[in-house]
Amino acid sequence: MRLVVDLNKCQGYAQCAFLAPDVFTMHGEESLVYSPRADEAQREKVARAVAACPVQAITAEGLNTEPLPEVSDAR
Amino acid sequence: MTQSSLLGQITDYANRADPYPIYAELRKTPVLHEEEGGAYVIGSYYDILHLLHDPRISSDAANLAAAGDDELTGPDSTGLPPSFIRLDPPEHDRLRRIANSSFGPPHCPRRIDSMRGELSRIVTELIDGLGDAREIDLVDQFAYPFPVTVICRLLGVPREDEPRFRTWVDPLVASLDPDTRRSADTEFQKAAQDARMQLGMYLAGLVEQRTKEPQDDMLSDLATSQGADGTLSMMEVLSTAVLLLIAGHETTVNLITNGMLTLLRNPEILQRLREDPGLSVRIVEELLRFEPPVQLVPQRTCIADIELRGTTIPKGSRIWLVLASGNRDPERFTDPDRFDPDRPDIEHLGFGSGIHSCFGAPLARLETQIALAELARRLDSPRLLQDPPPYRQNAVLRGPRHLPLAIGGVRP
Repeated sequence: MRLVVDLNKCQGYAQCAFLAPDVFTMHGEESLVYSPRADEAQREKVARAVAACPVQAITAEGLNTEPLPEVSDAR
Repeated sequence: MTQSSLLGQITDYANRADPYPIYAELRKTPVLHEEEGGAYVIGSYYDILHLLHDPRISSDAANLAAAGDDELTGPDSTGLPPSFIRLDPPEHDRLRRIANSSFGPPHCPRRIDSMRGELSRIVTELIDGLGDAREIDLVDQFAYPFPVTVICRLLGVPREDEPRFRTWVDPLVASLDPDTRRSADTEFQKAAQDARMQLGMYLAGLVEQRTKEPQDDMLSDLATSQGADGTLSMMEVLSTAVLLLIAGHETTVNLITNGMLTLLRNPEILQRLREDPGLSVRIVEELLRFEPPVQLVPQRTCIADIELRGTTIPKGSRIWLVLASGNRDPERFTDPDRFDPDRPDIEHLGFGSGIHSCFGAPLARLETQIALAELARRLDSPRLLQDPPPYRQNAVLRGPRHLPLAIGGVRP
């Protein structure tokens, strides 16, 4: 599943990194690192992370949005 | 303070089962100040959110004591220093970071995730333990013992000591209730003071043991922490442990109980949860908006004059932020008095916001999600025997004292 975090909204509460630690990790106290394509097996944990975000910065395909637009890898 | 004042009505036990009409009244006055020397009470969502992020709003216990309140928890009262919930930066940040280094990311990212199996096992055992009973008290038989067991395991406090520490926790929690505190006699205050000291001394014994033989628990980690923020003094370890032990269960018990009560008042949502346990995630967020376990934050003061909606709140004033009122603010939420886990926007104030936002939020969420999904699945035809149920005295940490239910049985 694909996901996007709006890093302008993210305030580093780290709720996602608690609840889905294989998809979201904290680099230092406030910087978020995440995998934009999460394994389907992570769906339940990603759902918890999306709901728990205090600033609702996470968009995940099939959870709180329709399919995300496809982008070409071509430059 | 007369009982007809809005602040008096908020603390009045008679309104505990349904304080929401009073909060609606409160929101008509953006900055409510009813009595000379009294607290400034804020009930609108955007004002609360703004003040939770305003560095001129202090959580420091010493500032609160100077504002003429709360002699109980001043620095000298028990010998235990204030915990990070009662401190401002930079002390707050240092203590919270050290506590977090044994609880969550970046240092300990899997602590909570790795407890999922154990949380499910505890829930299963407690529901199995209901046996053939046809009438149960959800609080005493489930919603209290579950988070107590969890916080004991997390900290490394022996579960069988619960009857002992409960006798200290109860007066301490009661002292957080503004109404009790105001009307309290000196004997009551002394009891709460003694309780914090005794709880600290009890935990000191465990910490001493863990310092010699560290185990995989937070008491061991707190006692032996050595990071960029340095080490905690013994007194800092104890005040942190007292905070985590109390906050770790006194709030979750109310979230779970408010949850079951709300589901039984909304049977179609309970039925949906039975069919789809994943719905528990959205149900818990909506619960945190609709019936938050911490109704208000009464322990802040301002350390400068603050202009808010045409009113000047003078430096040194006490400020109450009524989170539960902000959560029902129609300027922020559509149809706020409806319990609706499908609402697309649930940016609630249930865990506060800003630097003091709930430390244990991820654990509370997971506990309540698992608890409600399993209760919905396994309790056959649950029915409220009393609506509204009897509430705890406390206006801050609000929730039912008992939740008597009739059940047809327990499913496997």
